[in-house]
Amino acid sequence: MTATATPVPAQSRVSGWLGAATSTDHKRIGLNLGLCSLAFFALGGLFALLMRSQIAQPNEHFVSDNTYNQLFTMHGSTMIYLFVTPMAIALALYLVPLQIGAASLTAPRLASTGFWVWLCGGLIMESSWLTADGAGRAGWFSYVPLSNGTNTPGVGQDLWVMGVLLAAIGMWVMGGCVVATIGRRRAPGMSLMRMPVFTWTALASMLMVLGAFPALIIVMSLLFIDRHGGHIFVGFNGEIDYQDLFWFFGHPVVYVMFFPYLGAAAEAISVNSHKRWFGYGAFVGSIMLFAALSMSVWAHHMFVTGGVTNQYFAFTSTALAVPAGIEYFDAIATMVGGSLVLRTSMLFGITFFVQFLIGGLTGIFVASPVLDYHVNSSYFVIGHFHYTLFAGSVFGFFAGVYHWFPKVTGALLRESLGKLQLAIMIVGTNMTFFPMFILGEDGMSRRISRYPTHPGWGTLNLIESIAAGIIALGVLTFLVNVFVSLRTRVPAGPDPWLGQTLEWAAPSPPPPLNFDGPLPPIRSYAPLLDLRHERHDRQSHEARQEIAS
Amino acid sequence: MRGGAIPLLAWGTLLLVLLLGNWVWTQDTVQVGLFAMATGIIYATAALFIALNRQAVRRGPPAPASEPEAIPAASLAAVLVGLSIACIGFGLVWAGFLIYFGAGILVLSLGRLVLELRAELRAVGTLGEPPR
Repeated sequence: MTATATPVPAQSRVSGWLGAATSTDHKRIGLNLGLCSLAFFALGGLFALLMRSQIAQPNEHFVSDNTYNQLFTMHGSTMIYLFVTPMAIALALYLVPLQIGAASLTAPRLASTGFWVWLCGGLIMESSWLTADGAGRAGWFSYVPLSNGTNTPGVGQDLWVMGVLLAAIGMWVMGGCVVATIGRRRAPGMSLMRMPVFTWTALASMLMVLGAFPALIIVMSLLFIDRHGGHIFVGFNGEIDYQDLFWFFGHPVVYVMFFPYLGAAAEAISVNSHKRWFGYGAFVGSIMLFAALSMSVWAHHMFVTGGVTNQYFAFTSTALAVPAGIEYFDAIATMVGGSLVLRTSMLFGITFFVQFLIGGLTGIFVASPVLDYHVNSSYFVIGHFHYTLFAGSVFGFFAGVYHWFPKVTGALLRESLGKLQLAIMIVGTNMTFFPMFILGEDGMSRRISRYPTHPGWGTLNLIESIAAGIIALGVLTFLVNVFVSLRTRVPAGPDPWLGQTLEWAAPSPPPPLNFDGPLPPIRSYAPLLDLRHERHDRQSHEARQEIAS
Repeated sequence: MRGGAIPLLAWGTLLLVLLLGNWVWTQDTVQVGLFAMATGIIYATAALFIALNRQAVRRGPPAPASEPEAIPAASLAAVLVGLSIACIGFGLVWAGFLIYFGAGILVLSLGRLVLELRAELRAVGTLGEPPR
C-alpha cells in the first residue's frame, strides 16, 4: 500500500555527479539543498568569526569600517537566506514524503528547478565579494534609503539584491512542492490527523513560505528597480512601505526557521521517551495558530518608526506566548512518565527547548513597545534573535541530524562525539549570546565596527569573541563525527531507535521510491508504535492462554 | 486526494480573521493589502487542490490511488530551467548578453521538458499492454 498505485520510473537512472545534479528524487534534492546550506553555514560562520575579531576589543582595527559593514550584512544574509531557512526546507523535502508514505514529491521537477534557482541565487549573492565595491553592505534587510543607488552604489549591492531575489523564488517554489505533496500524496489511511508531528510543523512552515515569501520577491524586485532610477521608495512613506514589505516576509521567516526544528526536536523527544507525543490535537491546533499569528506580528520590528499602529502588533506579538506555551507543555508532558533514553538527539532536543525559552521570553520583552524603545538597535536585540535562531533552531537542527542521520546514510553517528559536541556548543552559545543582553541593556549599539573604551564592554566582548571560536569548535567536532561515522560505519538498520513514524519502515537509506514493501496499517500518527503495541498485546494474550491451558 | 485542501482553508480563515483585525485596528492600506495577498495565495492554492480533485474538501483518510503514475528519476530540463532563470537574473546585473543567453537556454530547456513529459506519458501508457 503506497500513495501511488503503480509508480513507474519514467527514465533510467543516471549515476555520478550528473545523476545527483539532475535527480528528481525528493531525497536527493533535499540532500543537495542540505549539503549546500551547510557549506553556506560554514561561510556565514567564518564571517561571524571575522566580525567578532574586529569587536573583541575597543577601538580595534582588524578590518575597515566598510569591510565590517559587508561582513555583518553577508553574515546575516548567508545565515538566513542560505542556511537556516533552506535547511528547514531541505528537512521537509527529505522527510515529509517518507513520513506520509508517498513515493515522491508532487512536481519533483519544479522542486529541482527551485533548488537550482536558489543555489545560483546564493552564489550570485556571495559573488558580490569579488566586485570592486565589495559585497552587499546595507544589512540583511537593506532598508531604504541606505540601500538605494545613491547611498550604496555599485554592482556588489546589486548582486546582493539579485541573489536574495533568486534565493527567495527558489525557496518559494520548493515550499509550494512540499505543501502540494502533503495535500495530494498521503498514503491510503494517512488522514490529516494521522500525520506525524514533524510533518505538521513542516506544513505550517511551508504555508508561511507560500504566503510570506512573495512579499520578499516583490520588495527585492522593487528595490532593484529603485536602484536603477525607478525611485519607488521615496520619502517617509516610501521608507515605511519598504519596511512593511520586507518585514511581512522578515518576521514569518523567523518561524519558518523555527517550526521544522521544533518538529525535529519533538520527534527526537517522543521516540527517546518511548511515548506518543503528548496532546497531539492541541499541538496541531497550536502550530496552525502559531503560524497564523506569526504572520500578523511583522510591524513590531517597526515600533520606533512612528509609522505603524503599535497596539495591534504588540497584542499579536504577545499572544504568541499562548501557542508557544502549549508546545512547551506538550514537550514536558511527553517526557513525564516516559522511559527516557538520553541519546544525543534527545539531549539536543531538550536543549533546543531550554535555549529557545531564553529567546522566547526576551521576545515577550521586546513585544512591548515601551521596552522595545529602550533596547531597539542595541545588542539586546542581537542576543534575543541569536537565542531564537542559533540557540533555538540550530540545536533543533542537530537534534534532527542525530535522529535521522542513520535513516539518511544507513550508519550511526558516534554518541560520545555527539555529546562532546553538545557540551561544547552549550558553553559556546551561552558565553557568546548571553553577554549581549548585558551589553545591550548598557547601551552598546548594534552594527558598529568600533566602540569606545567603556567599563565592562571590552571584557564582555572579548568573552563573546572567544566563545564564538568555541561554537566553531563544536561544529568542527560534528564534522569529525560525520567523517569518522561514515569512514568506520556502524550499520544502523531500518529502525535503530524504535521509531514511531513511517520513515522507519523504509530501509536505511531509503530506495528510490522510498518503500520496498507494503506500508504498515496507518491508524494513528505513530503507526510503527501501534504495530509494536499490537504485537506486544498479542504475545501477552498468547502467553496467558498458554498458562491457562 | 481526500482532505488536502482542509488545512489550507482552515489556515487561510485564521489569516482572514487576523487580516480583519488589522484592517479595523490599523486602517493601513499597504498592511491590509499585504495580508490580503497572503490570504489570497493560500485560498487560491486550496481552490487549485479542489479543482484537481473534489475530494480535497472532504474529511477522512485518502483511498488507494487507482491510476498508475509516472515518477521521473531525473530531469535535465528542470536543471536547465533553473540555470537559465539565474542566468537572466545575473545578466540583469552584470552583463546584458547573459539575458539573451539565458532566454535561449530557457526556450531550449522548455522544449526538452515537453519531450520528458511525453516520455512519461508513454511510460504510463505502455504499463497496461501485454509483454511482447
